[in-house]
Amino acid sequence: MTSKMAGDTRSHTNPEQDGMTEQQKLQHQLQVFQNSLPKVNQIAFQMLLNEMVPLAVSVENKLINSEIKGTPKRNSSELEEMITNVHITAPLDKPSHKLCQQLYEANDGTREKILERLRSMGNQIGNKLTELLVFSNNPNLVFKDMDLLSVMKFICRDVWKQFYGKQIDNLKTNHRGTFYLLDYEYRPIQTFALDDQSTEEELAMIKPFFEIPVGLIKGVLSSLGYKEEEVVCMASYIDRPTDRPKSTFNKGVSFHVQVNMQ
Amino acid sequence: MAIYSFWIFDKHCNCLFNREWTLAANSSSGTVNSKQNEETAKLLYGMIFSLRSITLKLSQSPPANEIRSISTGKYRVHTHCTASGMWFILTTDFKQQSYGQVLQYIYSHIYVKYITHNLLAPFDLAENPSETRGQGTRKINNRHFIAALESFLAPMIMQ
Amino acid sequence: MSNSSSMPAQAKSLKHAGEDIWKNRTEKVNAELFTLTYGAIVSQLCTDYERNFQKVNEQLYSMGYNIGVRLIEDFLARTALPRCENMVSTSEVVSKCAFKIFLNITPQITNWSHEKDAFSLILVENPLSDFVELPMDAMKQLWYSNILCGVLRGALEMVQLDCDVWFISDVLRGDPQTELRIKLNKVLKDEIPIGED
Repeated sequence: MTSKMAGDTRSHTNPEQDGMTEQQKLQHQLQVFQNSLPKVNQIAFQMLLNEMVPLAVSVENKLINSEIKGTPKRNSSELEEMITNVHITAPLDKPSHKLCQQLYEANDGTREKILERLRSMGNQIGNKLTELLVFSNNPNLVFKDMDLLSVMKFICRDVWKQFYGKQIDNLKTNHRGTFYLLDYEYRPIQTFALDDQSTEEELAMIKPFFEIPVGLIKGVLSSLGYKEEEVVCMASYIDRPTDRPKSTFNKGVSFHVQVNMQ
Repeated sequence: MAIYSFWIFDKHCNCLFNREWTLAANSSSGTVNSKQNEETAKLLYGMIFSLRSITLKLSQSPPANEIRSISTGKYRVHTHCTASGMWFILTTDFKQQSYGQVLQYIYSHIYVKYITHNLLAPFDLAENPSETRGQGTRKINNRHFIAALESFLAPMIMQ
Repeated sequence: MSNSSSMPAQAKSLKHAGEDIWKNRTEKVNAELFTLTYGAIVSQLCTDYERNFQKVNEQLYSMGYNIGVRLIEDFLARTALPRCENMVSTSEVVSKCAFKIFLNITPQITNWSHEKDAFSLILVENPLSDFVELPMDAMKQLWYSNILCGVLRGALEMVQLDCDVWFISDVLRGDPQTELRIKLNKVLKDEIPIGED
C-alpha cells in the first residue's frame, strides 16, 4: 500500500537489467538537459510563490472596495493615455504579514474566495507545466498509456523536485483512486512562525500556503485528462514520523487526492 | 567568558533584540529582551551613533569610515552595520580581535532566514512614527530565531 | 566603495562579485518555472480585474514592493555591500549584482540624465516574460513585468534611496527594446534618536 519515494527511481521500474540501464541512461540525459536550461535564483522563485498568498488577499480587498465605491468606466483610449504618460506610483499594499493576518481573521466567505484564487493560480501553473514537460523528453512522462499511479508518481518526483527542490516523502494509495502525498518538510514555509510557541493560530495562518500546491496537483491532473470535477484535493497537517531528523517547522503536510473514475 | 551580550538595532534606532549572558559556565544563563536593558540599549546606541557621526566626518572621502569595534578597559564592542541601517552588536572580552564574520553570519544565516523570509513576521517592527527614532519597544521573540542564535553563539560564550 | 574616477575598476569587481555569488553560492531553479508561475499570477489578475490593465499594473507593482523590502536584506546578506556613494554606483550594483544574483541577467545601463540622477536599464533578456505573447487588448495597456518596478522601488527605499521606477517600453508591446527607468527623488535621511539632534 505504501511506496517510498526516497530518491531511488529504479525501484518503481521494470527490474529487467536492460530496462534499468536504458532507464538510467534516459534519467542521465534528462539531468544533462535540465542542467543546460536557463536558471534563476531559488530564493527569487520562492519569494514569488509565497507572495502569492498576500497578493490574493490584497486583490480581494480591492475588489470589495471597488464593489462598494463602484468603478467609473473610462474609455480605453483615455486609459491608455493615462498609463503611457503617468509614472507608475501605484498605491502600496499593507505589508505582507498584515495581509496574512487579515486572511486568518477573514470570514468564511471571503477566505474561501481568496483560497479559490490561490488554487486557481496553482491550477494554471500545473496546466502550463505539463505543456512544458511534453517537450522535455522526460522518461518519467510517457504520455501514451500513462495510468493514474504513474501520473501521481510523476507529481511526487518530478513536479515536486522542480518546484520545491525535494520529492514528496511518501505516497500512499488504495489503488482505487485515493492517494495521500506526504511532505514532511514542505519547503516554502519551513521558517514561517509567529513569535513564541507554535499555536493553532500559527498553523491556521500557514495553511493557506498549501492551496497553491493543491491547485498545482489538480492542474497537472487536469492537463493529463483527469477532469477538474473528477478530482478532489485537500491539504491537511500531519505529525512527522519520529525517526526523521528534526525540522524547523514541526508538522508535515498531507495532500489527499481523490480521483473519481467512471 | 568571551561574549557578554548581543544586540540588534534597526534603522529607527530601536533595539529589536538583546541577549545578555551572566555566567561563563552556562550559555543559557542571563536574559533575553530584558526590560532592564532598555536604558543600556539607549546608551549603547547613543554611543555608537555619536562615534559614527564623528568617524564619518573625520574621513571626508570614500570609502566610508565605518566603526568595526570599540575598546574599553574591560570590553570590546563589535559592530556590523548593514546598508539597510541595521546594527548587529556583540560585547566581548579581549581574547579575539574580530567578530565581524560572526556578526555577518548572524545577519545572513539567522536574521534573514528566520525574520526576513518569514512572511508571518513584519519586515519592519515600527508600525507608526511614534515607534521610530529610538522610541519603539517591540522586540523579536521568534522562537526559531532565538534557538538558532543560542546554538550558534553557545560555544563562543564558554570559550 | 570608491569615487567615480575609479568607476571601471569598481564596476569590474562588482561584476566579478555578482558572477561569483551566482555561480558558487546560489541555489537555482529552472527559469521556465519562474516564467510560468509569474504568467499564472498575471493571468489571474487580468481575470480578477476584468482586464482593467491599469489595476493589474498597480497590483503587480505593489506585490513587487512587498517582495523588494525583504529581498534587499537577502541581497545585502549575500553581498555585504555598503551603501552606494551615488546613483552611478547604484546602477552598477543593481545591474551587475542584483539582477545577476536573482535573475541571472545583466541589464545594460544607459540613458543617464544630465544630473546623473536617473538612468535606464535595457533588459535584453527577461525571465519573467520569455516566450510570452500578449493579446491585443493587453498589448497597449499592460506592463507585463511591472513587478520588477515594485521590487526595485521597495529595495532601494530600504537603503534610503527614494526612487521612481517605471517601464518606458517593452518588447511585449511591440517596442524595439525593454527599457526600465529608475529616477532618484531624494536620498532619505537616516533617523536620529530622540534627544540627539
